[in-house]
Amino acid sequence: MSKKVFHTTLKRPGIRRWRLNGMLIAGLCLLLPLAVIAVFASWLSFLDPLSIDASSQLLPPSWNHPFGTDNFGRDVLARTVYGAQVSLRVGLGSMLLTAFFGVFFGVISGWYRWADAIIGRFTDSLMIFPGFVLAIMIMAAIGPSEFNVIISVTVLYVPQVIRTVRASIVEFRSAEFVDAARTIGVGDFRLLFVHIFPKAAGPVMVQLSFGFAWAVLVEAGLSFLGLGTPPPAPSWGNMIAEARDFIRSAWWMITIPGGMITLAVLGLNLIGDGLRDMLDPRLKDRGVL
Amino acid sequence: MVEYTLRRVLSFIPTIIITLTSIFFITRMIPGSPIAALIGHQAVGAEQIEAISSDLGLDKSLIDQYLEWLPAVLTGDFGTSLFYEDSVVQVVMDRFPVTLYLTVFSMILTILVGIPLGIYASIRRGRIADYASNVFSSLGMAMPSFWLGFLLIILFAVTLDWLPASGYRSPDFGIWEWLKRLILPVLAQSLAQIGLVVRMTRASMIDVLDQEYITMARAKGLPESRVVLKHALKNAMTQISTVVGLTFALGLGGSVIIENVFALPGLGQLITIAAVRRDYAMLEGGIFYLTLVALIVNLAVDLAYAYFNPRIRHTG
Repeated sequence: MSKKVFHTTLKRPGIRRWRLNGMLIAGLCLLLPLAVIAVFASWLSFLDPLSIDASSQLLPPSWNHPFGTDNFGRDVLARTVYGAQVSLRVGLGSMLLTAFFGVFFGVISGWYRWADAIIGRFTDSLMIFPGFVLAIMIMAAIGPSEFNVIISVTVLYVPQVIRTVRASIVEFRSAEFVDAARTIGVGDFRLLFVHIFPKAAGPVMVQLSFGFAWAVLVEAGLSFLGLGTPPPAPSWGNMIAEARDFIRSAWWMITIPGGMITLAVLGLNLIGDGLRDMLDPRLKDRGVL
Repeated sequence: MVEYTLRRVLSFIPTIIITLTSIFFITRMIPGSPIAALIGHQAVGAEQIEAISSDLGLDKSLIDQYLEWLPAVLTGDFGTSLFYEDSVVQVVMDRFPVTLYLTVFSMILTILVGIPLGIYASIRRGRIADYASNVFSSLGMAMPSFWLGFLLIILFAVTLDWLPASGYRSPDFGIWEWLKRLILPVLAQSLAQIGLVVRMTRASMIDVLDQEYITMARAKGLPESRVVLKHALKNAMTQISTVVGLTFALGLGGSVIIENVFALPGLGQLITIAAVRRDYAMLEGGIFYLTLVALIVNLAVDLAYAYFNPRIRHTG
């Protein structure tokens, strides 16, 4: 069998052209302000998102409460900001875990054939389920909490990352630079994680930014159903669930958290699109989901 | 084609067993918890708990439970729901049509809107129509479908009072009575799916339109409509059909939440309630049937794919 020759600079450029593109900038413009406000919330003197005030229930937006108040008299602006923290934690936490396990099992699965059989069956059996249904099933088993949402998003998304990583590793298995490295005595571990994986890291980063967006949506959906972050925590999904009885009287309660989810997800998707185009302009609008 | 179909249908059997096995082990990761859900906050003695758990077969090892459970469910017996006190399959079958209407209608809408819009965007590449469709599809994919559902309720049910806000009537009450309660849920569910299909249709059409045989077809003087709709679309369809299948699975997941927003008594609502109550038999049955639908659609998509792309039949 003839060996494939890889022109690594041409075929898998990695994210090295840091010339920013429009979509990436647009995504960052949407997301960064949100993230900064969320991270520094406690220094920015917002009201307490949990403090109940019976005298100021369902107040429309005003100078004191720019986003109004909810049915318990809680400040919607404060809840929105602290809700952003929840989404950020869930997204970051689940994507860090996904990156770790996805890369680890993906690399192992692409390199060792015995592991491929086991890991392959495992990912296949998780990918049978419609995504959100799997999340519900896991949350029903392990119970509602923010940490458990992170776990279930990870279980949902890890199979996809495993597949991506595995595909790139398989592609490189018979590359010449791999043979060369082996000839000079590079061990498996070093070969895989120092020489091969970095060449496959780009697509994973793209996938993780889409995964982050997906995590925000899943957290909101689960919390809305009462299976995610338990109330009274100010998660965006909880806020929508609490607002459903007041859609006739207090429009600000439902429009604001939903609008925030939309902005965050849009920003994250744009960042994913931008990264993908930078990685390989030919991939424009294709494939990675 | 016959051979491929047979092979594909046979591979369905192990898939079903894998699905059931995953469902069993995921829902029972924490053994014993259905009892806690069942007794709630009542004060119950240790003997009573033991009695309940041996009643439900929870005192046996997980493997023993599995070996009893699998043959039973393979013959269509998911046991009795803890809360409905009725056979799980019976309750599931009662709810099934609602979910099916919701997903099938939103699938039809998605195909009817998404594919033409994607094709249009691809032939107007870089023009205003293309950008507009891009903005529309990006927004559609970013909006949580359940939130969109509430916005639609505010607009069409509360403000304009054109359509009912929630609830369901079976077709026995008359076609319009039935349809008008499905319009908003179908719209809410479809938008994200349409966004996805538009983008993928556009991408695969552009892929095909850039190929030489299209230039050739144009060069020999074929009308543009024929080039796009016959020559290009037929090749793009292979990719598009995969995306449509994928979208359907996505939609089934989304239906769970949409049914909750619009109080539709479907499978999704059943699953959510079962999940909150930890009614495991119900949860397992509901999820299995929902997944089964996704699997059947996937099978159909694979067969369509093989039809559009004969290479698959011979190598796959």
